[in-house]
This record gives sequence, structure tokens and C-alpha cells, in this order.
Amino acid sequence: MIDKRLARKVFGIVVFLSAWLVPALAFAEEAAAAGDASWQVAVGKAVAAGLAMGLSALAAGYAQAKIGSAGAGALAERPELPIWIIVLQALPEIIVLLGFVSAIMING
Amino acid sequence: MSPVIAQKEKLPIVGPRDYGYPNARLRGMRSRLLKAEAFEHLIATGGMHQLIQELMRTEYASDLEEVLIHGRGAAEVSDALQRHLIRIHEKVFGFLNQEAKDICATMLGRWDVFNIKTILRGKLYGLGSAEISGNLMPVGALGSVDLAGLLAQSDVSGVIDTASTWELPQAPALRDGYEKYQATGNFVDVELALDRYYAGWAGSRLARRNSNYAMIRKLLCAQIDILNTVTAFRASRDRLSLEAAKEYFLSGGDGISVSLFGQLVAASDAGGLLEALRSTPFSAALEGVASQYAEDPSIVVFERALEDYFTRKMVALSSTDSLGVGIPLAYLWGKQNEVTNIRIITKAKEVGIPLERTRRELILV
Repeated sequence: MIDKRLARKVFGIVVFLSAWLVPALAFAEEAAAAGDASWQVAVGKAVAAGLAMGLSALAAGYAQAKIGSAGAGALAERPELPIWIIVLQALPEIIVLLGFVSAIMING
Repeated sequence: MSPVIAQKEKLPIVGPRDYGYPNARLRGMRSRLLKAEAFEHLIATGGMHQLIQELMRTEYASDLEEVLIHGRGAAEVSDALQRHLIRIHEKVFGFLNQEAKDICATMLGRWDVFNIKTILRGKLYGLGSAEISGNLMPVGALGSVDLAGLLAQSDVSGVIDTASTWELPQAPALRDGYEKYQATGNFVDVELALDRYYAGWAGSRLARRNSNYAMIRKLLCAQIDILNTVTAFRASRDRLSLEAAKEYFLSGGDGISVSLFGQLVAASDAGGLLEALRSTPFSAALEGVASQYAEDPSIVVFERALEDYFTRKMVALSSTDSLGVGIPLAYLWGKQNEVTNIRIITKAKEVGIPLERTRRELILV
């Protein structure tokens, strides 16, 4: 069950980032289009890439913590399951990979 | 006092509301509950010796090994089953989170009431301690040592005095019920005082605004409805007046209102009772045993059907939220049901009940 307080915090962070980062990126893009490639564009891109990588890593960490805890529980009673637990444990890495790709695309 | 529930309080291996680890572990444990084929093997065994051999291939082996040095009879198997049940409950309470512990302890509180009732009834009818002990479920706050202390008393008043001396939470209800019983001569007064205590105690412990508590509150309501239905059946059988019967009505249920309770008490036969209960969720369960009641007109048939209905509801919690309290409760009820079934098979082997009848007696297989 998702903790309501945690859900509220995550929602708040997402709203905050959307409100500040999306316009910043839009302005940066506009400035770049106008040929006015100033240092703000570079900083904006760096921040966005960092957030894409950092947030996806945090999300993957959270998912892996949950899967790891449940996996430890399952292994305690069913020691024949380690391969499945390792596969499930590795799945959230895809989130980090997607964040990494997004970061490269932002900087590209 | 050494309650099963309180023993492992000092091992907080998971967060107060973390269900990931305990529920995954319980799902693993659930896969080892005996399936229908395993029960079929147990029923088909030729006698007690073969039954024990068959049980030695299951999770019960380690508990059986401990008691088999004393003998290879039904009493030893019953002892092993009780040890197993206590061990499993201790193990589960050792890794549950705090919320699940609170909720499970509340629901297991019904077994304390059941155990006290069983001991009192046994003492009332002069049964031996061994016979009573075989029917106990020491999985609530009252451990086997406490129950042995109550069992050691010679009569009903001795049990109630001991409960009062130990300041058990059920003691005030027991004293009130016993006073009434002395005035009316009806032992139901003591039983209903205990039920009323449990309904109030469990209701107050589950009064929190949280989806897990809300789900279990509904089950408590169902339990109270079942108790009211059984009381109404008995009152109707004994031709009690509506006013007298209403004294026994337990508040807190959501399916049986006072007016419906009155209709049930006023019903003249089983057909009338079933008709009045048509709007309740357990109507189908009762109608399923109507033909059995026609053959054997005993309220026990309906009581058993209602108990099965409740067990089914508890076991069905395994398909609710996989990160909720339903998983631990479903497992604990599944395990209790398994032990009850093995006890039935053991009794059947001991007294030589035919296989077909043993199969019919089993619950939820």
C-alpha cells in the first residue's frame, strides 16, 4: 500500500518541478531558436539533464528497495527462487537507462 | 502470562507499515499449506500409524518428532498440531509490521473467547482436561500455559475466579455473565457476555481511519452478524419472547438489524428463518445446508455453515491488496483451518469413522 504522506510529497515535488523547469526549458529553447545561445541555455540543459538522471535513479532506487525487501521475504521461505528475484531486482534499472537516454538527448 | 502475540515485540525487522517483506514471506509459506490431494492421502491412510507416517512428510514433521517419544496415538498428534500452530503464529508475529500485528492480534482475540468458552462448557458438562485441551486453539493473547492454568480448575466458578485473579481483560464480562447465569440458569448468558466483550474490545481497536482497518472492521461486522444470527436461531428454537431475545442482541453488525433479528426470532420454522435472511450475504451458505438440516434438524448444521462462511471470507483475503493486512490474516486462517482438518482426520482414525463421512466433515478443502 502506498504511503499517503509519501505520495503527497512526490506529487508536490513533481508539481514544483513542472512549474519551474518546463517554462525554463521552453524559454531556453526559444532563446536558442532566436540564435541567442547564452549561458542560461547551457545551465538549463545541464540542470534538466541532471534532474532526468537523478530523479530516474531515485525512482529506480525506491523500486529496488521495495523489490529487494519482498525478494528477501520470498527467498526466506522459497530458497529455490533466487534467479527470479535477481531478474525482478534488475528490472528497475531500465528506469535509470531511460533517464540516462533522456539526459543525453537533452544535451545532444 | 506469555502470550504468543506479545513474544516477538522486540524484533522490529520491518517498518511500521511495510508489508513488502512479510507478505512475500507469507506467500511463500502459503504455498506449503496442504492441498486437497494431501488431505485425500491423509484420509486414505489405514490407521493412526500410517497417518503419522504421512504427516512426517509435511511441515508437521519437526513438531511430531518432539512428541512421538511419548507415544503414537491421537493425543500425541493433537499435541503436535497445537505445538505447530503456536510455532507458526510466533514465527509470523516475529516478522509482521506493527500495524499488521495489531490487526491480527485483534482478530485472533476471538480465539481467546473461543478457548474460554470451550473450557467453561467443558467444566460445565464435567469433561476431562485432556478432552477439552484437544479442542483449544492457543493462538490468541492467552498462551498454552494460561489455558492450562484455567483448565486445572475444577469447575466453572473456579475458572472465573482464576481469570479474575489474573486480571484477564475478559474477567469483568465473565463475572457479569456468571451472575446472570446464576439467576437464570441459562449458560448462554456467560457466552453472550464474552461475545459482547469481544465485539466492544475489537471494535475499539479497529476504529482507525485507514484502508486496512476499514477492511477488517467489515469482517468484524460480519462476525457480529453471524453471532446474532446464531442467537436468533437458538431463540427461535427455544420459543423465546421477542423482548427476552432482544437482550441477547449484539450491536456493531451491519447486516442484521434489530428489526431483522426480531423477524428471525419470530420465525416459526427453518424455512421462515432462511426467507428472512435472504437479503444477507450469508444467505447462500445457509441455503446450501438446508437439505442437510432437513435430515438432521439441529442448529449446529447452520452454525457450522456460518463458521465455514466466515473462514471462507478470511481465507479469501489472500486475493485483496498484496501489500495489505489481508495476506497475513488469510494465511493464519488458512493454517488454523488446516490444523482443524487434520484434527478431524485424526479423530476419525481414532474412532473409526468411515472415509466418506470424514471427507464431508472437512472444512474448505
